Amino acid sequence: MEQVVGPKSSGGKAYDQSFAREVYQKVDSGEEIKMCMQCGVCAGSCPLKEKMDYSPRKIFTLIRAGQREKVLSSQAIMLCTSCYSCKVRCPRKVPVVDVMHGLAHYALRQGYKPREETALFGQKFWDNIYRLGRIDEKDVAQRYFLGHGLGPGIKLMLENMNMGLGMMRKKRMKLLPERPIKNVKSLRKMLDKAKALGKGGAV
Amino acid sequence: MDKKLGVYICTGCGIGESLDIEALKKVATKEFKAPVCKTHPWLCGSEGVEMVKADMTNEGVNTLSIVACSPRVKFDVLDFSPALQDRVNVREQVAWVLPAGDEDTQMMAEDQLRMGLVKLNKSTPPEPYLAENMSKTVLVVGGGFSGMNAAIGAAQAGYPVILVEKEAQLGGFMKTMNKRVRPPYKELADVDLEGQIKKVEAEPNIKVFTAAQIEKISGGPGVFDVTLSQNGSSVTERAGSVVLATGWKPYDAGKLEHLGYGKFTNVITNIQMEEMARQGKITRPSDGKEVKNVLFIQCAGSRDENHLPYCSSVCCLVSLKQATYVKDQDPEAAVYVLYKDIRTPHQSEDFYRKVQRDGGIFIRGEMTAISEDGNKNLVVEADDALLNEKIRLEDLDLVVLAVGLVPTALDEMALNLDYRQGPGLPLTKYGFPDSNFICFPYETQRTGIYAAGCVRSPMETALCAEDATGAALKAVQCVESTAIGASTFPRSGDMTYPEFQMQRCTQCKRCTEECPFGAINEDEKANPLPNPTRCRRCGTCMGACPERIISFKNYSVDMIGSMIKGIEVPDADDEKPRVIALICENDAYPALDMAGINRIPIDPFYRFIPVRCLGSINLVWIADALAKGIDGVILLGCRKGDDYQCHFIKGSELANTRMEKISETLGRLALEPDRVRVEEISINDYDKLPVILKDFMDRIKELEPNPYKGF
Repeated sequence: MEQVVGPKSSGGKAYDQSFAREVYQKVDSGEEIKMCMQCGVCAGSCPLKEKMDYSPRKIFTLIRAGQREKVLSSQAIMLCTSCYSCKVRCPRKVPVVDVMHGLAHYALRQGYKPREETALFGQKFWDNIYRLGRIDEKDVAQRYFLGHGLGPGIKLMLENMNMGLGMMRKKRMKLLPERPIKNVKSLRKMLDKAKALGKGGAV
Repeated sequence: MDKKLGVYICTGCGIGESLDIEALKKVATKEFKAPVCKTHPWLCGSEGVEMVKADMTNEGVNTLSIVACSPRVKFDVLDFSPALQDRVNVREQVAWVLPAGDEDTQMMAEDQLRMGLVKLNKSTPPEPYLAENMSKTVLVVGGGFSGMNAAIGAAQAGYPVILVEKEAQLGGFMKTMNKRVRPPYKELADVDLEGQIKKVEAEPNIKVFTAAQIEKISGGPGVFDVTLSQNGSSVTERAGSVVLATGWKPYDAGKLEHLGYGKFTNVITNIQMEEMARQGKITRPSDGKEVKNVLFIQCAGSRDENHLPYCSSVCCLVSLKQATYVKDQDPEAAVYVLYKDIRTPHQSEDFYRKVQRDGGIFIRGEMTAISEDGNKNLVVEADDALLNEKIRLEDLDLVVLAVGLVPTALDEMALNLDYRQGPGLPLTKYGFPDSNFICFPYETQRTGIYAAGCVRSPMETALCAEDATGAALKAVQCVESTAIGASTFPRSGDMTYPEFQMQRCTQCKRCTEECPFGAINEDEKANPLPNPTRCRRCGTCMGACPERIISFKNYSVDMIGSMIKGIEVPDADDEKPRVIALICENDAYPALDMAGINRIPIDPFYRFIPVRCLGSINLVWIADALAKGIDGVILLGCRKGDDYQCHFIKGSELANTRMEKISETLGRLALEPDRVRVEEISINDYDKLPVILKDFMDRIKELEPNPYKGF
């Protein structure tokens, strides 16, 4: 027999710790969110807060509440530009930037695509570094554009041609391809090792 | 004593440039016949001080009027005790706020000097009140953690201590505690009460009475006569001061049915939780199974208008401690804390961090409903303020209500004071026996009785220890001051006390009723029976007395009345009004000084008279002033009401009540009631003070000049 005190409603999500535990174990820096005390300094510092569906603070509280779907499909985790304002200001020393990237990476691994554009660009950027040990800007751009498919890719290239030419005129971008750094193979070894050891990586 | 007056005018700090010093000297030498009157460009320098001291030894000057800066500065340098002395403030209140060389500036300085000289004329050197057989013993009431700490503190300082505990054993509430959280707030610590008790028992200065009650306390500081009853017999001991450390009681959880208490077996209080932890294992009360999911509900009945309106300060830390019990028993157990605000003062924030690191889940919000299924599992529904959603917590084995603290001062007559105003301590709005929380911690509204620990304010154990030491030191200060006949704070060191001219007393009882400290008892015929050691020298009795029979050696109705009469009032045609500002020495006077330091101009038609407290203002002064042709009177004092800042608790409130009645008198004199105003001001309001003064002066200028001028 059930007894109730107070106005009982059928609504309301049940708190569930399983997602929080998943984050602590599998997400890079995930365990640090335990220390969050919900002061909101991160949200107040974030220059992209306006564009985010949930502020970093709210992402953390959603994780604790066990709302897996909302967190992993959130746009916010992909929007972090690593300005580090939040990480510097957090009174509890939570590395908010690392957590946001960790979550983004984890979401992608779990098959979520909160912002395909960001994910695609991130992947091409990473590939470039892995291949050259540095960034070749026109190469990253080309691959990112072509990642949309051949037709739309050429269209995007044409749209951005003037900017590219402008950058070349100002010597912000070279005409010739960049060469790989010296001994790029050992860099790749290091990156492979880091990947094997860690919970994720940057997006 | 034959007085020989010496007037010393300092011309430094801009005073010399602002005023006509020769004219000022004439006031002293011609009007007041001062035999010695000297000026010095830097009176507080060693040369100036030596000059005064030389006059004291060579010329026999024993009454000094120092015309210089505010008495609040250079008080240590310009101290010529034991001579009778007074400071005339012509720097902060004249030279720095009025135009230099102006006629009105000069008149103001001269009037201030006249008032200062009248004051000296009417003062006599104080003779301290010394009671017979004064004791320096400290009585500590309550043998809990705070009480024991206070006893040890006073004993180690070298004072005999009587420690009274109502139960058979020392220890108080701490006996029921499982673990403590103490500095550095990283881990749980053992309670170690035995060590504390042994320390008390080993201390030769402490006399312990357990299973004892206080039947009566009569007398006052230095001469408290304490009647104790123990095992049916009575003992009388003499004590010098009292530390009250009777502690607290948990809030009655029976009133928390809306949180499910009493309705569901698995809803318990933090007190029950502590008991369970002390027994060894934390289990569900319904079936004895180990707990897997625990919820702590913070502010259970606290910060709630229908229950305890205040924050009990320790419940957050207690819940964090108990969360650790659960996690220590089973690291996999889920611990939820539903809170309004986590309040972990000082370094105890570190313990909050520890519980977070251990995996405690903190939910900010308020419980809306609680229900129980057939297996006695609880479900709590809440509004989550941070998610802005309704949430549920399911399968809870245990819900712990963090109930707050209620001070024992509220319902226990632990002291049984034999005072005119009742056996208990007067309490402030939440039931704590404080007198002025900001300025005088430990101080209750009964002189020589100091509260420590949770009876004074909710606090955790480390703070209790600190508090107990603080109160013990206050108690020591009290017995030492009383032994030489000096007042305790706020008028620390004041050797005067009120003297009653009993042959003129009409037994009106105003002084006995209105004394904020219950210092004056009365006999069957309603004659006042003063207890000078209980007195804090505020002068509220002096302000109350309609027959004006109460006075101090250096503060009396006649003195201030004569000062007012000493002011020169120009004719109505001169269009120079005169307004008297009676300013409280505690807050308003320093605020006025600060306005002076900041060189904020004030009106030159004011005449400032410092008073000990607005409560000491006798209505006759106002009548005197208005009858002399003074155009208005403004009273500047501390805030009154529930959040009073009055240093003597009721002084400003009483002044206000008395002033409400004066409008009648003014009506009889055919004067406008607007001529008298009371304003509240705090010490940091120096920027508002000139505005208040200007506003009042504008109103006075709107009125016709006082028709009694020139009579």
